[in-house]
Amino acid sequence: MRGISIRLTGRKGIAFVLLVAAVATAAAGVSRNAGAARSSAAKGSATVTIGVSFDLLNQIRKAELAGIKQYAATKHVKIIFSVANNDPNQQAQQIQNFISQKVSGIIAIAQNSDQIVSSIRAANRAGIPFASIDRAAGKGGKLVAQVTGNPLADGAKVADYMGSLHKPLNVLLMVGALTDANAIGRRDGFKSEAKRFSNIKIVQELPTNWDPTTALNGVTNALQAHPEINAIFDPSDYLLPAVVSSLKTAGKLALVGSAKHMAIVTIDGDNNGCGALRRKWIDADVATLVGNFGPRAIDAILAAGVTHAPKTKVVEVPGLTLSQQNFATTHSKVWGCAIPANGFK
Amino acid sequence: MTSRLASLRTGSAGALLVRSAVLLAAVIVFVAFSLASSKFATGANLRNIAVEGAGSAVMAVGMTFVIMTAGIDISIGAMLFLSSAAASELFTKGVPAVWIPLLAVLFGLLLGAVNGVTVGYLSMNPLIVTLATLNLYRGVAGHLTKFSTVYLPSQAQALGTSHIGSIPTPIVVATAVALAGIFLLRATVFGRYVQAVGSNAHAARELGLPVRWVLVSVYAISGLTAGLAGLIENGRLGAVQPTVGTGEELTVITAVVLGGASLFGGRGSIVGSLLGVLILEMVADGLVLAHLSPYLFDIIRASVLLAAVLLAMAQGRLQRPLGGARRLRWGVTPG
Repeated sequence: MRGISIRLTGRKGIAFVLLVAAVATAAAGVSRNAGAARSSAAKGSATVTIGVSFDLLNQIRKAELAGIKQYAATKHVKIIFSVANNDPNQQAQQIQNFISQKVSGIIAIAQNSDQIVSSIRAANRAGIPFASIDRAAGKGGKLVAQVTGNPLADGAKVADYMGSLHKPLNVLLMVGALTDANAIGRRDGFKSEAKRFSNIKIVQELPTNWDPTTALNGVTNALQAHPEINAIFDPSDYLLPAVVSSLKTAGKLALVGSAKHMAIVTIDGDNNGCGALRRKWIDADVATLVGNFGPRAIDAILAAGVTHAPKTKVVEVPGLTLSQQNFATTHSKVWGCAIPANGFK
Repeated sequence: MTSRLASLRTGSAGALLVRSAVLLAAVIVFVAFSLASSKFATGANLRNIAVEGAGSAVMAVGMTFVIMTAGIDISIGAMLFLSSAAASELFTKGVPAVWIPLLAVLFGLLLGAVNGVTVGYLSMNPLIVTLATLNLYRGVAGHLTKFSTVYLPSQAQALGTSHIGSIPTPIVVATAVALAGIFLLRATVFGRYVQAVGSNAHAARELGLPVRWVLVSVYAISGLTAGLAGLIENGRLGAVQPTVGTGEELTVITAVVLGGASLFGGRGSIVGSLLGVLILEMVADGLVLAHLSPYLFDIIRASVLLAAVLLAMAQGRLQRPLGGARRLRWGVTPG
């Protein structure tokens, strides 16, 4: 058999050498990067990418996102962010995009607590750690962490505060979206705890679907149909403009301390709630400490990447009651109080 | 041409039949909820219903024109949000309050005209166009408001909270818009053109009608009504919030179709659309007053709509419009 010889002369020869050199360089670069990726993934440095999917973007979500980004920067984690605009199908598609991009982990706030289970399962099949924050996901998928507030406890705190007022309260119980675990938890927590207080009577239950216009119309109708209502449980500061506007229209918006004041307690702790407390429109706001959610989720994802921890870590961050009584000493602990109200006051 | 245009007009007998079905449905809903709650049929509650439905009623007038051309506009909720967001920006920039409602409405008209030009002159599918602008407008509005609640000054809330005499301003505005819409549709050449284009755009073009201009106009009207509705709704709320207008397009389209407009075009009624809005608002209000379980709301709401549609079908409401039959016979596709 004759050997093969290559004559490296002329332009063809130079081109061949350059081609071989280029291929060798590229191969060395790829292997170096792959090695760096493997070691940096284990160490949690800049090449770790986490996909973050939110259901919507409002004040509270922006605070949650800020908490995630700040903590991610300290851990050299890259964040890819998407918003589903209240569309569970869009969220499913966005999470699928994260999976296709082979991210190191996924953090999501479910638009629909049950519908997101299919996305969690898809991430499980792809071996990507999945953490749920703010809103509990439905059962069926494996999470490395579920970091939420404690909606049952928060709802109970509202009842505790109303009970502490020691006066007969005919309560309008507003409810968020019926597909939202937070909304159901807050309602159930309130109803359960309210039974302990003889001064609390629930006159009307009002579903709002977290929609301000629905809340506005519903509160207006409820106030007109039940003039005896003298207390309102607002499950989210996001609906406060609707509550305040309804009361103004009905001529029932009176400041805390006045004889005609309508007792109002809300949940979240955003700048709407803080502003309303400052204006003395409402009595108390059970603040959800949302800045803590993202960091705990990131830690769980990074830990899962190393240990492949099979068990879901459930963290429920308790709310903090900010009231007229403790406002001066407590408002600095509430994230919404650091954000000024937008527009006119 | 006049006789052809006249022949395309929705027959008065047909319109009466359609309207009767919707009117009957409205009466049934009213009676049902009156029996379910003693608070339903009170003057104060009925006034609340009228105020709460005013924004949707205004947009339903605009949507009637669009649907009568066999088009659709699913960006009205986004236009409502963007025109409101723009208005709030003008307030913060110190623009005199007296000018802002007019500017907001004109801005809405411009947003709608963008849809109209794309549909009319580029011959693009209205569903696709308005789906794209839905996302575009909502994104721009979110950027303007930073997805935060923007509180409005008291002078910005006038259209939503003031009264003209003893009548809430939203009701006055909705009534005025409805009357203007009825006049435009029934008593002007433009109204005839709208029906002609919806019945058979190709034939209308062959007749020398300004089809493109009509299409631009109806979408511009839709945008104008969205801008006006935004002033009402956000005036009532006292704030512009990031999710305002979300899902409004489905409510309005449902009301317009319930009121007798044909999705195939060529047929519609402003009064019917308003009755459709009334039915939806009475259902939303009555469900709360009747103290029913919230888990039943969607079931009852859907059942009422289905019953109303079946009632209309029984009265011949869903017969194909004459223009549609012509399209099939001639085998041409409307331009």
